Amino acid sequence: MELYELNLYMLTEGLKAKKFSASEIFESCKNRIDKCEDNIRALITRTDSTPQTSENPEGVLGGIPTILKDNLCTRGIRTTAASKILGDWKPPYDATAWKLLRESGAVLMGKANMDEFAMGNTCGNSAFGPTHNPNDISRVPGGSSGGSAAAVSAGYVPFSLGSDTGGSIRQPASFCGVYGLKPTYGMVSRYGLISYGSSLDQIGPFARTVRDLQLVMSVISGHDPMDSSSFRDKAHDFTHREDVSLKGKRVAVVKEFQGFGLDAPISEAMKRTLKVLEDEGAIITEVSLPVVSKYAVACYYALAMSEAHTNLERYDGVRLGYTVKDATGIKEMFERVRSYGFGAEVKARIIAGTCLTEPTRCEEYYVAATKVRTLIAQEFSRAFGETDYIIQPVTPSLPGKIGEADDDAMKGYETDLYTLPVNLAGLPGLSFFTGYAGNLPVGLQLIGRRWSDSELLDAGIILERHLGSPKIADGGQATARKKLYLEER
Amino acid sequence: MKLTSEEVNEIALESRLLLNEQELASAVRYINNFLDALDCFKELDLKDVEPFSFAEAIECPLRDDVVTPFPYTEAILHESEHVDGSYFKVPRIMEE
Amino acid sequence: MPELTFTPVIGIEIHIRLKSDSKLFCSCSTDTDAPANTNICPVCMGLPGTLPRLNHRVVEQGMLAGFALNCGIRPKSLFFRKSYFYPDLPKGHQVSQCDLPITTSGYIEVHDAEGKLKKIRVHHLHLEEDVGSLHHSASDGRLEGADTSYVDYNRSGTPLAEIVSEPDVSSSAEAVEYVMTLRRRVIYSGASEVELEKGMMRFDANVSMKCSDGRWGKKVEVKNMNSFKALERAIEYEIKRQKKIMLQGGEVKQETRHWNDAKGVTSASRTKEFYRKFIVEPDLPPLIISQEWIDRVAARMPEMPDVRANRYVNDWSIPREVADVLTDDRNLADYFEACVKAGANPVRAAHWVRTEVLRVLNENGQKISDFKMKPEVLAGLVAKVDDGKLSTTQGKEVFDYMCANGSGIDEAVKALGITEGGVAGNALADIVASVISANPDVLDEIKSGRDKKGKKLKFLQGLVMKETKGQAKPQEVAEAIAEAVK
Repeated sequence: MELYELNLYMLTEGLKAKKFSASEIFESCKNRIDKCEDNIRALITRTDSTPQTSENPEGVLGGIPTILKDNLCTRGIRTTAASKILGDWKPPYDATAWKLLRESGAVLMGKANMDEFAMGNTCGNSAFGPTHNPNDISRVPGGSSGGSAAAVSAGYVPFSLGSDTGGSIRQPASFCGVYGLKPTYGMVSRYGLISYGSSLDQIGPFARTVRDLQLVMSVISGHDPMDSSSFRDKAHDFTHREDVSLKGKRVAVVKEFQGFGLDAPISEAMKRTLKVLEDEGAIITEVSLPVVSKYAVACYYALAMSEAHTNLERYDGVRLGYTVKDATGIKEMFERVRSYGFGAEVKARIIAGTCLTEPTRCEEYYVAATKVRTLIAQEFSRAFGETDYIIQPVTPSLPGKIGEADDDAMKGYETDLYTLPVNLAGLPGLSFFTGYAGNLPVGLQLIGRRWSDSELLDAGIILERHLGSPKIADGGQATARKKLYLEER
Repeated sequence: MKLTSEEVNEIALESRLLLNEQELASAVRYINNFLDALDCFKELDLKDVEPFSFAEAIECPLRDDVVTPFPYTEAILHESEHVDGSYFKVPRIMEE
Repeated sequence: MPELTFTPVIGIEIHIRLKSDSKLFCSCSTDTDAPANTNICPVCMGLPGTLPRLNHRVVEQGMLAGFALNCGIRPKSLFFRKSYFYPDLPKGHQVSQCDLPITTSGYIEVHDAEGKLKKIRVHHLHLEEDVGSLHHSASDGRLEGADTSYVDYNRSGTPLAEIVSEPDVSSSAEAVEYVMTLRRRVIYSGASEVELEKGMMRFDANVSMKCSDGRWGKKVEVKNMNSFKALERAIEYEIKRQKKIMLQGGEVKQETRHWNDAKGVTSASRTKEFYRKFIVEPDLPPLIISQEWIDRVAARMPEMPDVRANRYVNDWSIPREVADVLTDDRNLADYFEACVKAGANPVRAAHWVRTEVLRVLNENGQKISDFKMKPEVLAGLVAKVDDGKLSTTQGKEVFDYMCANGSGIDEAVKALGITEGGVAGNALADIVASVISANPDVLDEIKSGRDKKGKKLKFLQGLVMKETKGQAKPQEVAEAIAEAVK
């Protein structure tokens, strides 16, 4: 077995027992990246050309390689948010989450591809081209944190970080066959995360076991004075325990979602998982979320775009990133920088967000959406009076082929129905692996109350025990071999 | 159609975005589909609903009034192609 | 046909820089005089991924300034994003409390044309961040005609209070009194130093005209006034301009106009103003202010200048004009009250501070905080003059000597050769005797009765006064000489 195949826990234990060294891990991961990256294109920037030395070899993540979504600021290392507009910007500061990983000893292998400014669910809206699903390189890895999910799935690194505004961790985790946690809003500091929809954005980890998610959460969660929305009063314990149980816990399906069409492997996975939960002593129940099921998608996009267009006003070419030097007036400079620097999807969302917050439409759309959000949050809090967890799909279908785009953007947005309500209510959501349909992994989602992240991961441990852990994806090797074989013939 | 292409173009300019014909046509389609989708809000009675501001009632934390200079101001200036001496130099401001 | 009359309807928006060491949302220094772009950080430069952190002291300064304007404090306020593109605005939006401000309404009292007190209602005060500063390449440093501009972000993110009045102001004189009174009260509260020459107070005015024939002109927003004088001139210009249009039967356009201080005119702004609804700043939870906190800050509020002046007039019978001068500066009033506390007669002390202290400060270009003489010392000097131990002239000489040399009273008296209490009785009799014995011929003349017009007596009196260095009372000198020549 190669070192890159080991999960995070095994690597930390092996290092402690001196079975291997940090530099051997680094080499193994680097070789794996070298081997797969041409097929997968998960990385925008590689930082592994020279061996990275751990800042804290004795730390809980001492010598462990990791990858960050490229919307997390890294001091002195190019950070692009997959947009041309940031150019070769090197932030003069670190995102808090990265600082915490660094101080715990983690070393950076690279910055992962994503949809530009996290707007998308395919990892195809990137100025650096699409990332491919390591399980089947003709398919999308999901998005927006597609590169981070693909990197863990293909064995580049044992864990990575992404961000989730409406499903951007959970959906690619499901598509790539890894575990992904979207923590409770306020659990992980957003300082240094390039904002998309600030009231919805949350940083979270990807890993190949639930236990590894626990370890990463124990490092990156916690109060940060640099983020005014970061929680202050609650202590959270992500210590791994074996003696966890779901006995007597209520797990609900959402009544209104039952009529919706799902790909067969997903509905089968749901049946299997419910059986596992029942066998574990959980009580399967049903909750009703009528407002969520009908209004969440519109509410989410209205708010995300209203916030996004103001978050993107700062890109004007004056202080950083892409710019033009020959403009004769400031307005011309701004227009040229922004028109060239932003991709099509980003521009569409900026225009939509501007439109929604115009004084003539603001009450009708933006303010209405903030009120609908209140109803959605209330509906969830009622539901969590009747249940401890909600279980539902991540997406209605398995990953599609790269380049298959829907003409009607709203249809594409509707596929986020299962993930985005979680962000609207600030809840934690775990995307977990249930098995394979052919070579494609099938994931589902478990949702908990606010601040129940550690219990959610405990439940994930039980599910993983029964459903099994994902394998390292082939990373396009079979396809590459096939192609070579065909060429030789 | 809720918005004409002139209106969409006006909004784009307000956002400092120049659209070519094709981009404008697709933006018009996009916005109008989107606004149609948002019409569903009208089905709800929102009169007495408070706008949501945060996932739970948290207070804005307050920072002590203490000066801590940022150590890498040079690095900030280094990232701009418009720095001239210690200033950011920008082209003519036509308005006003 | 009766002549048409016009009533100006004016609302004023004021931006005041609040006093703090660090900026509103980051820990950079608020020193805007530092070399360009040195007091900057990722937050006030709006770099991607950065988040605001609200300054506790600025919130309290906002509360103090609010109290100074008779405003209430809102238990829950919010920050919003106010969008526009400009190179001095790093995030492309300004973070401002515009839609749910920290204070409720208040008022400031001014004198109307008949000299009666009238209230100018303050709609609210809110907190917001300032933008960077622009320097223009045109030869006169102004925007007009400049090919390039230079941005310094030191000012970006420094804390401002925006104060919005109701349209209760009816003349440029009222406007000036409103902003001057408001400034004095805000300085008193400690919320800001409002140094005008440092641009810490900037004004915009909304001006419209109501005509006696029932017409009401549209509102014009006049921007870019940075001094009391500019505010006064801009309003007067705008009143004249609008009146002329309405007299000619025209219609005043609703627009934004810019005051050009050099030319003394307002001109229509070419910028299209987008009145956008503001979105809630998602990176700052609601600002919650408890009653207990409000009470604690309210307890720090000093007596306001007008209240203080009234107390001087009512309790101490100090003339209104003197009371106003004394209370103009909180430190000066504090100094004066310390003199009274040290035992000085209030009216006399007020007079001394008003004339002598202010004269010396003016001569030296100093502030009261620079003034070395302790209030207790001045109180001692005032008492000596009051008790007749020193004449008024001597008192002033002593005062000047003390100011110039930093000495105490006794030292000054000695150095100036002053005899406290003046020359009288035996001391005076001795001087008279020596003067007479030195002038036997004059004595003879008087005794012989030839000094019919009393000229010689006057001559002797003059010599005696000279000898006493003017420290004797003329009446006593006359009597002593009369006695000696009998």
